Amino acid sequence: MKVLLMGHPNVGKSVIFNRLTGANVVSSNYPGTTVDYTQGYMRVFDRDIEIMDVPGTFSLDAKDKAEEVAVKMLMENPDAKIICVIDTSKLERGLYLALEIIERGFPLVLALNMWDVALDKNIVIDLQKLEVILGIPVVPTVAISGEGISTLVEKLIDVEPVDILHISNTMKLSCLMTSPGCAGCKGC
Amino acid sequence: MRISIDRMKYNQEGVFVGINNELRLHLAGMGLRAGKKIKMITREPLKGPVVIQVDHASISLGIGIADKLIVEVDE
Repeated sequence: MKVLLMGHPNVGKSVIFNRLTGANVVSSNYPGTTVDYTQGYMRVFDRDIEIMDVPGTFSLDAKDKAEEVAVKMLMENPDAKIICVIDTSKLERGLYLALEIIERGFPLVLALNMWDVALDKNIVIDLQKLEVILGIPVVPTVAISGEGISTLVEKLIDVEPVDILHISNTMKLSCLMTSPGCAGCKGC
Repeated sequence: MRISIDRMKYNQEGVFVGINNELRLHLAGMGLRAGKKIKMITREPLKGPVVIQVDHASISLGIGIADKLIVEVDE
């Protein structure tokens, strides 16, 4: 089994990679620290799982060399499972990339990293609702302290691809049920 | 009133109107899409970049992009 760590620049992919593999790749609080990929292994239930730390990318239409590497890696590993790492306080823009990856048929687990920072900023996220809408596991993590990492691995083992149409349907349903504060996705 | 992003004043808020070309996808990846509230954070002098806030993220845009993006602002 192969796992790709994908996400925007500077969301903590490399820190999660280090947590999962026990490696020590360079991570810094600066976008673009990882420009090439790193490979590592972890062992879960006597299975070797290959993990690849992918450079950060905003979308699957590559805009620079590092993003090209990221997109190429995804395309070269059609049977891989994806951990999409998102900076929790910038959830919405991260979902754009996650949806793009789901749309291409990859099984995906969402890691809402820097969960503690979002808490400090008083950002409240309805995890259950997000899971229902997306139909995929959503795991809050704090990579630097290790919180949520083991849950992430558990969920990763059984994750299945979801149909993007299913997401747009549940999205419309939940839109109908929600509040007047709707920004208007024009889906309903 | 509609103006381009680079003409916003410091701390001025507005709603992004949108753009209809290949830039749209690039911006969407950074969380900037039609209907989003944005706030001007800083505008560097001498044709330098523009920094705006969208949700909880700061985005910096080259002036060549910022002057093509239209926002709706109060007078």
